[in-house]
Amino acid sequence: MSDVPFIEVDNLYFSRGDSEIFRGVNMTIPHGKVTAIMGPSGTGKTTLLKLIGGQLTPDKGRVLIDGDDVHRLSRKALFTLRKRMGMLFQSGALFSDLDVYENVAFPLRVHTDLPDAMIRDLVLLKLQAVGLRGARHLTPAELSGGMARRVALARAVALDPELILYDEPFVGQDPISMGVLVQLIKRLNQALNLTSVVVSHDIKETLTIADYLYFISEGHVVAHGTPADLDVNQDARVKQFIHGEPDGPVPFHYPAAQFYQDMLGDTATRGGA
Amino acid sequence: MSMKGGQVAMRITRLGRRSCDLVESLGRAGVFLAQSAVGIPSAEGFRLWVRQLHFVGVLSLAIVLVSGLFIGMVLALQGYTILVDFGAEDALGQMVALSLLRELAPVVAALLFAGRAGSALTAEIGLMKATEQLTSMEMIGVDPLRRVVAPRFWAGVVALPILTVGFSVVGIWGGYLVGVEWLGVFEGSYWSNMQASVAFINDIGNGMVKSIVFAVVVTWIAVFQGYDLLPTSEGISRATTRTVVYSSLAVLGLDFVLTAVMFGGL
Repeated sequence: MSDVPFIEVDNLYFSRGDSEIFRGVNMTIPHGKVTAIMGPSGTGKTTLLKLIGGQLTPDKGRVLIDGDDVHRLSRKALFTLRKRMGMLFQSGALFSDLDVYENVAFPLRVHTDLPDAMIRDLVLLKLQAVGLRGARHLTPAELSGGMARRVALARAVALDPELILYDEPFVGQDPISMGVLVQLIKRLNQALNLTSVVVSHDIKETLTIADYLYFISEGHVVAHGTPADLDVNQDARVKQFIHGEPDGPVPFHYPAAQFYQDMLGDTATRGGA
Repeated sequence: MSMKGGQVAMRITRLGRRSCDLVESLGRAGVFLAQSAVGIPSAEGFRLWVRQLHFVGVLSLAIVLVSGLFIGMVLALQGYTILVDFGAEDALGQMVALSLLRELAPVVAALLFAGRAGSALTAEIGLMKATEQLTSMEMIGVDPLRRVVAPRFWAGVVALPILTVGFSVVGIWGGYLVGVEWLGVFEGSYWSNMQASVAFINDIGNGMVKSIVFAVVVTWIAVFQGYDLLPTSEGISRATTRTVVYSSLAVLGLDFVLTAVMFGGL
C-alpha cells in the first residue's frame, strides 16, 4: 500500500476536430487506491479513460502505466498490457451473442489454457462476488441495467487485473443498484488490491469510495486532493460542481446573442430566411 | 467577378478535398483488410468461421436458389421465343447454360448476397460498435479485427462462390423445366448441346473467377462499412445502405471489366 504511481499522465493534449479537449493534463494515480476523476459532463472524462487505455492517441504528452508509455507500445505489447487492466463501460458492453456465463468466461478462454472445469469454478466465483451466480444462463438482453453492469464488472475482474477503469459506473442506476455498485467497487478494490480509476459526476457516491480526486474543467486539472480537501476547496468551478449550483462558472445559458436583440428579431441573427 | 472566381476556387478546393477523402478511405479500407484477413488460423477461429458460414451462406441459400430457378425459367422462355423463329430451339440448353455460367449466376448471386448477407454483416458489426462491444473486446485484449471481422470476411469469400454454383445448377434445371417439360424442346438436344458447347476452363472457370472476385469485394465492403461507421442509429442505417449501393455498383462495374478481359478477345 505504497504511494508508488501506477499511472502517470504527463502534459496530455488532445483535440477532436477543432475543439480542444485537453490542454496539458497532469495526474499521478497511485497503486492500490481508488482515484476518481470528476468534472461537468462534456469535459472529456470518458475520453481520458480511452487515452489511458490506449484506444485514442494524444496530440502531445504521454501516459505511463507501470513505466510503459502506452502510446509507444506495439499493437501486440498494448494488447498484452490490456490483459492487466479491466474496463467497465457505461453501457456494460456485454457481448450480445453470448450468455452471462460465457461473457464472464470470455477473457479466461482467450487468454488462458485452463481446463473447462477450472474456468467454470472461476466464472462462478466472479459471479458469486457480484451476486449473480443464479443469472448465469440469462442473455444480456434479459438483464436490467444494474445487473448488466454487475456482469460487466465480473467480466472485468475475470483475469484478476491490476487496474480497473470505471466509466460512469453510477449513471442511470436506481438507488439500490447504486448502493450495490458502490459496495462492490469498494470491496473489490480492497480484496484484490486493485488500482481503480473511477470517472463520474455522481458526487455523493464518488466521495464515499475515492481515496483521491481529480477535478477536470476546461481542458485541465483545476483541483485535486482527498475528498475532505475538495469539500473545502474555494475554486468557484469546484464549488459550483460539488454543491450542484445551477449557475456559476459553468453558465446556465448556452452562449447566444443578447436575449433582447434575439427577441426583437434582428434579421442578421435570424440567419436569412 | 472576383466573387465568381472565389466560388470556382472553392468548388475546386472541395473537389480536391473529396478526392483526398476518397483516397484516404480507400487506404484505410486496404489496411483494414490486410490486418483482418491475413493471419494464422486457429481452432477457435475455425469454429467462429463455421458459425458465420452458416449465417451468411446457409441462410442465404433459399433466396439464391429460388432466384436461380426463376431466372433459369425466364431465360428458357425468352430464349425459346427467339430461337424458335430461326428453328434453332435445340440450342436452348447451350444458351441457358452459357448465360448463367458466364454472367447471370455470378452477378445476380452477388447482388442478392449483398442485399441479404452484406447488409446484415454491416448492421451487426455496426451495432457491436455502437454498443461498445468492439471497444470492450479491445480492452479485454482481443483484437476485434481478428475475432469479429476475419471470420465474417472469410465466410463471405467462401460462401458466395458456392452459392453461385447452386444458382447455376438450379437455373439450368429451371431452363429444363420450361424448355423441355413445357415447351417441348427435345431433351437430348437440350443436354447434349450444352455439353458440347460449355468449356470447363473458359466458361465454368471464368464464371467462378468472377464469383470469387465479387465475393471478396462485396464482403470487404460490408465488413468495412460496419467497422468504419458512425456509431449512431443514423450512422448504421446509412452504412447499411452504402453497403448495398457500393457493392451493387462494384459488382456491375467489375463484371464489365472482367468480361472484357476474359471474353473480349473472342
